[in-house]
Amino acid sequence: MKHRRTRSQLVEAVFKVLMLASFAFVAGSLALILWTIISKGLPALSWAMLTQVPEGGYYLGKGGGILNAILGSLYMAGGGTILALIVGLPIALYLETYLERSAWGAYVRLTLDVLWGIPSIVYGAFGFIFMLAIGMRASMLGGIITLALLELPIMTRAMDEVIRLMPEELEQAALALGSTRLEVAMRVVTRQMLPGLVTAVLLAFGRGIGDAASVLFTAGYTDRLPTSLLRPAASLPLAVYFQLSMPYPEVQKRAYAAALILTLIVLAVSLGSRWVSAKLRKNVVK
Amino acid sequence: MARKSWRCGMAVVLFALLLGACGSSTPLSQPGALKGTVTVSGAFALYPMMTRWAEEFQKIYPDVQFDISGGGAGKGMTDALSGAADIGMVSRSIKPEEENQGAFFVGCVKDAVFPVVNAKNPVIDEIMAKGITQDTLRKIFITGEIKTWGEVTGRPEVRDEIHLYTRSDAAGAAEVWAQFLGGKGQADLQGIGVNADPGLLDAVVKDALGIGYNNLGYAFDLATGNLPAGTIVVPIDANKDGRANGDEIISTLAQATEAVASGKYPAPPARVLNLVTKGRPAGLVQTFIIWILTDGQQYVSEAGFVQLPPETLSQALDKVK
Amino acid sequence: METESNLSVDTNKKRPALTWRGRSDRLAGRLFFIFSVIPVGLVLLIVVMLVIKSWPLLKTHSLWLLLSGQTWKPEEGFFGFWPFIAGTFWVTAAALGLAVPPSLLTAIYLSEYSGRTLRALMKPLLDLLAAIPSVIYGVWGTLAIVPIIQNNLIPFIRQYVGNIPLISSQNSTGFGILAGGIVLAIMIMPFIIAVLYEILDNVPRGLKEASLGVGATRLQTVRWAVLPKVLPGLVAGIVFGASRALGETMAVLMVVGNVAQTPHSLLDAAYPLPALIANNYGEMMSIPLYDSALMTSALILLILILIFNITSALILRRVLGRKWV
Repeated sequence: MKHRRTRSQLVEAVFKVLMLASFAFVAGSLALILWTIISKGLPALSWAMLTQVPEGGYYLGKGGGILNAILGSLYMAGGGTILALIVGLPIALYLETYLERSAWGAYVRLTLDVLWGIPSIVYGAFGFIFMLAIGMRASMLGGIITLALLELPIMTRAMDEVIRLMPEELEQAALALGSTRLEVAMRVVTRQMLPGLVTAVLLAFGRGIGDAASVLFTAGYTDRLPTSLLRPAASLPLAVYFQLSMPYPEVQKRAYAAALILTLIVLAVSLGSRWVSAKLRKNVVK
Repeated sequence: MARKSWRCGMAVVLFALLLGACGSSTPLSQPGALKGTVTVSGAFALYPMMTRWAEEFQKIYPDVQFDISGGGAGKGMTDALSGAADIGMVSRSIKPEEENQGAFFVGCVKDAVFPVVNAKNPVIDEIMAKGITQDTLRKIFITGEIKTWGEVTGRPEVRDEIHLYTRSDAAGAAEVWAQFLGGKGQADLQGIGVNADPGLLDAVVKDALGIGYNNLGYAFDLATGNLPAGTIVVPIDANKDGRANGDEIISTLAQATEAVASGKYPAPPARVLNLVTKGRPAGLVQTFIIWILTDGQQYVSEAGFVQLPPETLSQALDKVK
Repeated sequence: METESNLSVDTNKKRPALTWRGRSDRLAGRLFFIFSVIPVGLVLLIVVMLVIKSWPLLKTHSLWLLLSGQTWKPEEGFFGFWPFIAGTFWVTAAALGLAVPPSLLTAIYLSEYSGRTLRALMKPLLDLLAAIPSVIYGVWGTLAIVPIIQNNLIPFIRQYVGNIPLISSQNSTGFGILAGGIVLAIMIMPFIIAVLYEILDNVPRGLKEASLGVGATRLQTVRWAVLPKVLPGLVAGIVFGASRALGETMAVLMVVGNVAQTPHSLLDAAYPLPALIANNYGEMMSIPLYDSALMTSALILLILILIFNITSALILRRVLGRKWV
């Protein structure tokens, strides 16, 4: 008896070391990347960067900022995420509450997985071709729709996986009390799984706001502030990409500052939503 | 309840977005003044130049607005041909198929591609003394017959391998370099494909055995006018006399600009960068292009380019008008 | 028995199906169904678009030659896709191999062993890392990973390890599959960890407590009680990460070398399909056949993704029998 306990404890100890090593590796390499962004971006970060648009000589190393890209990214990623949420949340709820074991559910999941794997450049190409076909020029609206397409599979599938782990007893209890499936979906599932749903939305938002290839062809770029859905809009990933390709080291450093701003935005959104969902956690049955 | 307030909140945000987005500002205009928006897209090489031109043009015509984006020469061509942009910036020569689809082009600046090696290259002294001929470069970049630095300089005992770098993204610089070496296009160049001009320079800076090629604006530090630390521009032995003569040695931006402007640097890899429109430009776009070819040329050198020679400029002007 | 009742309970005498709640339930069901058609429709639409755009190439070249051909010289009419297909496999496999074990272990650690502050810290951190633009990952890869491989790993292998099939290579630069795999692995780990963590976190506490109650260590609890229950979710999480890896373009193309050759070693340079598309799309639209070739490569990629997902779904079904949906 004692012998067996010691052995399994030994195995556990070994695994603990492995886990800590993995964790350290993950945290370490990610910390390294953040460190690179911060150390290169912070020096180039200034109040001007946050509040001004690029002046004419900005890409030659002169003055201005990237407010155009900041606002553009916020509008486009925000709009795209909301659009994806409007379509994706019902799908995820539907998969769990209405389609328990149906083949249709399997097909939908499969297509979502496939959509998830399509590189963003293909979404960009798809959007571009579509926009050419209907005569639309590169615009913020194009960017929003393309980002929504990009984010939809991520959000839906992540939500789906989270919702599937809903304790069945809760669902069955609700149904037994006479709830309709709709009510189960709207009132029980969303409340119980809210933290997980928030994670899914944030994952999708992060992906959307950080992606360059999809907006390159569909949203265009401009140095002006985004004021209209039908005009091109700048975005932070493109700001990073363009600035990195310029021959001036000062401009290249600003690319890191743009990346830093992007990271900070996501951090703010992430912390904010988690705080909100923590407030709502009292509804979760554990 | 929480769900409802989420939904309400989101609806409000969406509504606000739409409301804000639909309003567009109408610029204050004086009667008869030029106004409108010019959309430009294309080569990264021309991107900073174009934003500078736009800034100066706007000082003269404040009611004109610009939307300028990068994306590469090919995107510029496509956007111009498909009507998605008014002007395409194309950093290479125009292909016949493109002309057949209606591409109308004028050159706006000149620039060139230079071969670059690391300053710590094992045979750097020989390279600086003798230069490298076009044929040797061809054997390095295109056919791959020459694989070691020893073979480049005729010292077979030097066995260090050549680490060859090229551009991974479709680039005008790569096209023009390939054409200089007798290839048909970028795909003929061998080597590890690195993304973007600064990336290629960086790869050579980090690799003592590396060789690559860069545009004028990247091969030289535009602020100081000298070579970036750790790199040397390879003298191209144009007259094939086995020695790097005065003109062939290029170690400052001024020398490079001089060599390209005077025509002493071979062309290709010196080339004219083009602005492309669908059909002959008219109205605001035409005015802008004419301005670029006349007053705009004074801003060219601060961006690391070479002005077009006067005859070319007047030819271009005739074409556009 | 009386059917009338004196109790003041809601005596809605309509059949349940006709109540407002019943109707809204069915209406929602239909509406949601229409929503669920959207992803399916989208995939079909994308496939159709890709086929239409690839058609000029597909109708003039034999499919077999396209897929197995090894030469890629579009200006001269050679369209061999095999190097790119192989490159995609190598890089994705390397990324998954490097990412999945640490991710799983980290997720288990976070959900079972770690303290509350660490958990609270990790969540925003993971969101953050999923948001870093891929360009930055790529640049970091060229700054940090490529030099290490080039200056430390390759000389080490050449000097001490010699010629091992999967590892030795002609390529002396740090750009290659290994660099791509490492960068990609780091990119997909936040996703996998986040999803796996959510899944592990949602296992009912009762189950874990029962297992601990009979004397199992926490590890045994995880291994025997928790993992089997969440296995479908775990596999889904891994497929999740794989899909992200397959679809990632920018970061990979900055470090993978972009040489159109069939790789034979982890240190070889490769050219995955997304990199091919990203490098050239936008450039070649004025030349119809090249444009079709790029769309064909997108189509091939899409089919590869489809095969991958169907295979993993079938494997899941086999493993779990009828319990799988």
